[in-house]
Amino acid sequence: MSTAASSRRHAVPIALFGVAYALVTLATGNEYHQLILTLVPVWAVMGLSWNLFSGYSGLVSFGHAAFFGLGAYFVALAQVQWGMTPWIGIPIAGALGGLAGLIVGLPTFRLRGHYFALAMLAYPLALLYVFEWLGYQELTLPMEREHPAAFMQFADHRVYALLALAAMLASMWLTSVLERGRFGLVLTAMKQDEAAAEAAGIDPRAWKLRAIVLSGALAGAIGGFYAVVLLVVTPQAVFGMLVSSQALIVAMFGGVGTVWGPVIGAVVLVPLSELLHARLGNEIPGIQGVVYGVAIIAVILLAPDGVVWKLRDLRQRRASAANANVAPTAIVADDAPASARTIGPTLLEVSGVSIAFGGLKALDGVSLRVATGEILGIIGPNGAGKTTLFNALNGFLRPAAGSIVFDGREITGQPPHRICAAGVGRTFQVVRPFRRMTVFENVLAGAFVHEPDEIRARTIAVDALDQVGLRAIESVSAGGLSNRDLRLLEIARALAGRPKLLLLDETLAGLDTEGVEAVLAVVKRLAARGTTVVIIEHTMPAMVRLADRLVVLDHGAVLAEGAPEAITRNPDVIDAYLGKRWRTGDAVDR
Amino acid sequence: MTQHSIDARRRRFAGIAVAAGLALVATGVRAAPDIEVGLIAPMSGPWARQGQVMKSAAELAIASINQQGGIRSLGGAKLKLSVFDAGDSVEKAKNAAQRMVAEAPHLVAATGAYLSSFTLAVTEVTERAQLPMVTFSYSDQITARGFKYVFQTSATGDQQAEGSLPALLAMAEKSSGKRPKTVGIVMDNTAASLAFVKPIRATQLAKLGLTLVVDETFTPPLANATPLIQKVRAKRPDMLLLLPTAISDAKLLLEKMNEFGLGDGRLPTISNGAAILDPDLRANMNVAQLEGVMSVVANWGTSAQKDMSDEFRRRTGEPWATQHFLTTYGDMWIFKAALEAAGKADRASVANALRTMDLSNGPAKFFPGGRVKFDAAGRREGAGLLIVQWQNGVPVTVYPVKEAVAESRWPKR
Repeated sequence: MSTAASSRRHAVPIALFGVAYALVTLATGNEYHQLILTLVPVWAVMGLSWNLFSGYSGLVSFGHAAFFGLGAYFVALAQVQWGMTPWIGIPIAGALGGLAGLIVGLPTFRLRGHYFALAMLAYPLALLYVFEWLGYQELTLPMEREHPAAFMQFADHRVYALLALAAMLASMWLTSVLERGRFGLVLTAMKQDEAAAEAAGIDPRAWKLRAIVLSGALAGAIGGFYAVVLLVVTPQAVFGMLVSSQALIVAMFGGVGTVWGPVIGAVVLVPLSELLHARLGNEIPGIQGVVYGVAIIAVILLAPDGVVWKLRDLRQRRASAANANVAPTAIVADDAPASARTIGPTLLEVSGVSIAFGGLKALDGVSLRVATGEILGIIGPNGAGKTTLFNALNGFLRPAAGSIVFDGREITGQPPHRICAAGVGRTFQVVRPFRRMTVFENVLAGAFVHEPDEIRARTIAVDALDQVGLRAIESVSAGGLSNRDLRLLEIARALAGRPKLLLLDETLAGLDTEGVEAVLAVVKRLAARGTTVVIIEHTMPAMVRLADRLVVLDHGAVLAEGAPEAITRNPDVIDAYLGKRWRTGDAVDR
Repeated sequence: MTQHSIDARRRRFAGIAVAAGLALVATGVRAAPDIEVGLIAPMSGPWARQGQVMKSAAELAIASINQQGGIRSLGGAKLKLSVFDAGDSVEKAKNAAQRMVAEAPHLVAATGAYLSSFTLAVTEVTERAQLPMVTFSYSDQITARGFKYVFQTSATGDQQAEGSLPALLAMAEKSSGKRPKTVGIVMDNTAASLAFVKPIRATQLAKLGLTLVVDETFTPPLANATPLIQKVRAKRPDMLLLLPTAISDAKLLLEKMNEFGLGDGRLPTISNGAAILDPDLRANMNVAQLEGVMSVVANWGTSAQKDMSDEFRRRTGEPWATQHFLTTYGDMWIFKAALEAAGKADRASVANALRTMDLSNGPAKFFPGGRVKFDAAGRREGAGLLIVQWQNGVPVTVYPVKEAVAESRWPKR
């Protein structure tokens, strides 16, 4: 799949849609219809702006009216106060929107989920009062009788519609390019599982800031254009709840996180609402709101993710029904002997790490060393602190005491994406794939850690897929994978970050014998190629075959440490974890 | 007579009757093509009630115009009303205006659109379509943009702000024999209130020799009126400008004033606009607590329209005609007068007739000042103010005297 061909594949429908829309506009003589043809792209761009941030990042913004309103007020005030034409005013309004995004984002990204949404709600409402206080309750753009076109005032209203269309096509193109590039991939990954994305080396804050700046710029610019179309700017009209919610509604209706979603939403909902308003508003006042509301509820019930995703799912179901017998994953079985590996100097040194959750000491002064090239197994009963140890190692948790030195550098308490970039990759006890993305995209998201260049990142991703044997199903959506393939996918995603140390958390859990063999083979091969592995596992026979050394954790402390055969015979370990049947000594061979 | 000849005669009569009927129908069609006038106002959303009141006003006026023979200079042509819903936002109002212009090409004039911000957006459209638009919205901007097709019947916001205090002082002096010396302001921070007090604070207080002893601004909705009213009671001004725009805030403030012994006209309390005169307020609070409260408005029931107000009550079931009703009702009569003068049912002729109109009878009785003449900007000359006071549970016009329906009450201290 070449990038040029793919971008052509996405550009053609956008161009065709643009031509069709332009033709309809040119053929429309009714000025009222021309106005609606102008408002559809305006709200589509607003929806795309919202989508660019919230749609891909998953952080719901109820406050996009802040950017929109600032743009509208800037264009109006600039023309009234300084006689600045909107032709210049609108680009500046865009820059202003981007700046506002930065200012809003910096403090607000400290919040998550509902708290973020609520905080965003506050910005336009605050601005609404500020502009009322400033005395700009009603601002009108002066009518230019001398050079109307120089001030974006046209007698032929189709010009407005065409300008709006151009803005919409440009926004669609921008979204399309970003979506297929690193931007879209990273944000989509973050949206689906921020923790997993962070563990895969993505710095969430930096990416969210980039998204909100771009999104704010789009909203600011289109807000400026809206002022030109409406000619009257009031705080309610541009900072009001209706503006933010309109952006959200068109995007959600059409499909969040897609190029076409907000456009479809606007194309359907804006004329529908107007039509209902025009045709029913005089007969049964208020009925338009009811019908509009019911229409939205119906779509959300039938297609909760929006129209575009529903269509995509339907198409995918038909496609998968057509070729139900997808080729099984190729299992690569070149079982490289462990003896081929060379154990080198210490790569990871954990000293006295402690973590407590309230009164519970999850880790209590844990110390261990991992040598380069080694496969270290960590075992222990449930609640022993195994996953907590991993969370401390990759930065999810900050140890209360102790230090972690990796590759000669202190990494204690650093954020996960930094630790990932330093060379620590991990998988999760409960698999955390980015379900809405393909296998390839999942791995590509991890490949950007050391490789900002997209083409080279793709090569790395392909290589990682080859190593785990998932290349054949690279274009399948991760949501539909078997447990084994998901486990392999997580390994590939971690591998794409070119880790020196791989932390595998119960990678064999829930697999059948064949699956266990497949994953074991992959892990062994990685180790043979020089990746150091620390693995948590309950399947003792597999562990004994795989690991060079075992560390036993119990009650947050290291109970024993040594070669697998010695550990399985250690009476303390048998009492604490393995159980009586290991006393016979022959269990290992089963 | 034979049966045959009777039948023949019957047939002949039948033929004549049919021919006569056809002729009647034909002349009827030729003589009275309906003339379309527009009303653009909120028919849905939070301001729908006011829009409905405006609609019934227009319908009532048109019914009586048509009943009295329609437009005589146009062969008795009947007026026909087209209503456009301005909805609840500036965008919807603009859309409605664009629809009105595009889909009702035979419209000769329109009135609306209730809120100033809606009217501003609507007139941007009607101006370009050269459709005459008559409005009672206050904003000065409406007639400050150099537009040729907009006609404002109310005193503008600035005119109201500047005219209110002198009018109040004159009334106070006449009623009580004493001129107030101190004044208090308790207001919300909405556009209307801010515009109203701006010239008062800036120049008028000094010019009129008044001292401002209480000056409080709150953000609606008000949660607790006690601290505001406590300050008023402590300073005890000679009169209080009380400027809430939300009916709930008005209720809270007035109830608190009564609780503090400042009600029942003991502290002369004056508001601006029709919020404090709304039937809803009476329905939601003790009527006795409204007694004596005044408001400065651009239009209200005056002595000139007593018969019309009675008809209004009978037809709508509303307790009294508000300014929205009266003005819209009057606007239809302005349209009739303009059409009569124009003798042609097209926009340009009607606009011309509006520009040259100078009436002191007919429609003029629906507007304070009693004259309908628009200046070059489209503002009605002599558009004065009315002071309305709650008396015995009904707001009645008490000033100026020639338009008053009752005597003003100002406490004699």
